[in-house]
Amino acid sequence: MLEKIWATTVAPVNSVKGADFAMSFTNKKYFSLRSFVTTGIRTKAIMVLACALPFGVQASKKHDNASYQLTPVTYKQPLAKLGKRLFFDNRLSGDVSFSCASCHIPSKGFSDGLSLSDAYGPLEGFRNTPTLINVASKSIWFHDGRMGTNLNDVVRDQLTDAIWMNMDMRIMQERSKQDPVYVEMFKQTLGQEPTNGGIRKALAEYLKSLQSKNVAFDQGELSAQAKSGWQLFKGEGNCTSCHSGSLFTDEKAYNIGVAEAPEIYNEPARSAAFIAFNMFMGNENYMNLRADPGASVQHHRYNADDFSSFITPTLRELKYTAPYMHNGSAESLKDAVNLHFSGKRISSLKNVSLSEEQVNNLVVFLEALSGDPLTGNDVVWPEDKPIRRSYPVIPDWQNVSN
Amino acid sequence: MKTILSMKTLLSMKKRLTMNCHYLKINTALKAVAIMVAGLSFSPSVMADADIDPPLAALGPVPIPPDNEMTPEKIELGKLLYWDGRLGGDGSMPCAACHAPELGWGYPSSISRGYPGTVHWRNSQTLINSAYYGKLFWAGGSNSLEHQARGAAKGGVAGNGESNVMEAQLGLVPEYRERFEEVFGSGLPKVENAWEAIAAFERTLVQRDTPFDLAQTDASKSLTAEQQRGQVLFEGKANCLECHNGALVSDEQYYNLGVPSNKQWETSGLAQITFRFELYAKGVTEALYRETKRDLGFYFRTKQKRDKGKFRTPSLRYVKYTAPYMHNGTLATLDDVIEFYNQGGGEDAFDTKTSILKPLNLTESEKRDLKAFVLSFSGDEILMQKPELPPSRALNYFEVANSHIDKKSNKN
Repeated sequence: MLEKIWATTVAPVNSVKGADFAMSFTNKKYFSLRSFVTTGIRTKAIMVLACALPFGVQASKKHDNASYQLTPVTYKQPLAKLGKRLFFDNRLSGDVSFSCASCHIPSKGFSDGLSLSDAYGPLEGFRNTPTLINVASKSIWFHDGRMGTNLNDVVRDQLTDAIWMNMDMRIMQERSKQDPVYVEMFKQTLGQEPTNGGIRKALAEYLKSLQSKNVAFDQGELSAQAKSGWQLFKGEGNCTSCHSGSLFTDEKAYNIGVAEAPEIYNEPARSAAFIAFNMFMGNENYMNLRADPGASVQHHRYNADDFSSFITPTLRELKYTAPYMHNGSAESLKDAVNLHFSGKRISSLKNVSLSEEQVNNLVVFLEALSGDPLTGNDVVWPEDKPIRRSYPVIPDWQNVSN
Repeated sequence: MKTILSMKTLLSMKKRLTMNCHYLKINTALKAVAIMVAGLSFSPSVMADADIDPPLAALGPVPIPPDNEMTPEKIELGKLLYWDGRLGGDGSMPCAACHAPELGWGYPSSISRGYPGTVHWRNSQTLINSAYYGKLFWAGGSNSLEHQARGAAKGGVAGNGESNVMEAQLGLVPEYRERFEEVFGSGLPKVENAWEAIAAFERTLVQRDTPFDLAQTDASKSLTAEQQRGQVLFEGKANCLECHNGALVSDEQYYNLGVPSNKQWETSGLAQITFRFELYAKGVTEALYRETKRDLGFYFRTKQKRDKGKFRTPSLRYVKYTAPYMHNGTLATLDDVIEFYNQGGGEDAFDTKTSILKPLNLTESEKRDLKAFVLSFSGDEILMQKPELPPSRALNYFEVANSHIDKKSNKN
């Protein structure tokens, strides 16, 4: 029995072999891993494949800063404002106990400062809350990349999942219809009454408005130390083999040997959420998992090589989003950097030993990828306009249309 | 026209047959003929009125479905689960939240308790003798206690639980792992088995020793003179037997009595949300969603106009403890209920009101007799203490749950 559990925990160690780009693209599993992902993204992947294949890892070193620049996302201001109110409204959870903003807190870079997130009712979470800043620039969502379609789907998933907001969207719609503020805002923006589809549309629009602002790196204002870090990042550190592109992520899954968070297995509230999630994902052995299956939920084969691999996270806005990694096991940026150079699970994590100065340079560079805090009223529902939980009665109810 | 004529014919025929039945107590041949006639020629709404009323009788042994046998272990497990909030969305809504022993195994306000952040929309029914129903819920939306338990635990304004979350929580209770293995041999607790255990427990919540039952079964017992006068009214002038008949004191048919709408729809924003949610969730047309202001009842299931505003006849057993009354709790006391019928029921909002109800012209003493008889269907109050619930405990890192799954799959 011990042997079996040992296999359970250790099996993923050598699992992701397709570490550098050329390898991973020729690996058939890469494509099967994307079973969730839309055709559009597939096409994109094939296009990238065409460019990257001849160069492999070396190609990433030739990137100039241009390919790391963020393209602004356009969005409709009034609809985003409606989404903003919804984002901060507790009534979008089943028992009206919390809102999107309860876990995606503006002052914490739209994450929550916890290693492992909170969850609905008696449950607690089993992963770190990811930032929502630049979320609209992504093409694959969640630490395990289980969603690869669009923000509307991501929003629906989080609202309705019993582990997160446990919201029956029909009740959500009827709640919004009972609030005159929403009725008016929907009329002004979508020209219709509140509907559950409209709510998701508005929330997705709001998420588009969460974009990095005044980032030193984007403005070409790196300090000398940050520049050294950037050179290391692109060169010896080989960070760009995964952290590439405008979000500093290739949006692919790797197992880099992050230690499991024991709380997931020791605390009933987290354990229950973790088990329920894996049950829902069709993992037969949900009860005896002692490792997070990560990206293997995308194809539901839990003995596959990508077991316990996680999508490369963005490196933007890290200043606000500690702790780090999919389970928050790295408390500081320094810990997170060191973690990458102590593990050897994928070949692109080179066995280089960095001096403390080099680590510091990398950290300073990473901090230069964070912009101004997004805490202004343009993205935060103002405190002087509290969203009341109670609902007014619709007068003359017998005679008005529902 | 044709229907009306046939209905009249049938009604008069039925009346004769009923009288015969009452006087002769049993008349199987006549009954069979009546059922044949009704079954061959008429729509269900006519049929409902045309059947032979089975006589009131002592309540027999509880029916046990062959696929959910009762064992002491299963009943004991069901009792724990009945009180366990882990079967629900947020831990606060076990079965007992809306079906509390000390509250007549129901809920004391006109409308049942809603999931946090919502209000409910119908009256909570007692669980006592619910095992005898073939149709659970006010519109008969469920045909077994097993199914009812699941529906209530998952409903948006009731338990709002999701199966995987409920099952995961049960799986982390060591005592449940042992008990489910013992009772169902399932290894890990399965939420579908939880409903079976709860139903088995609920089949123990029966009352067969009421004054009425004892008067039937025990030669030394009889109803009081007042109750006996009440029974004559019940079966005659007041015409209660038309629907409240048989051992369950319910024909389990659907009627619109014109029960007034609950005022909460007009006075509470939360209630208005729930009302529209129910219209939405029950799948009515856009037009009906926009215009409906009253509970459509049985219509939600059949989508037949003739079923608007109809609800399944409830049993009159245990009513001593289950105020307020009717599907929406709008009648606070038994006196109110009797007066409601005395006036021939309420207003017909859907043009579907049953023709059975007519002003009864009961005198005050007749009302008292009738009430005394109705109360003879209630015995002593059935009370029960909440059991101590087994605690959750996470599995140790090296602990393997006693699951069949891990025997067949060693993949992970």
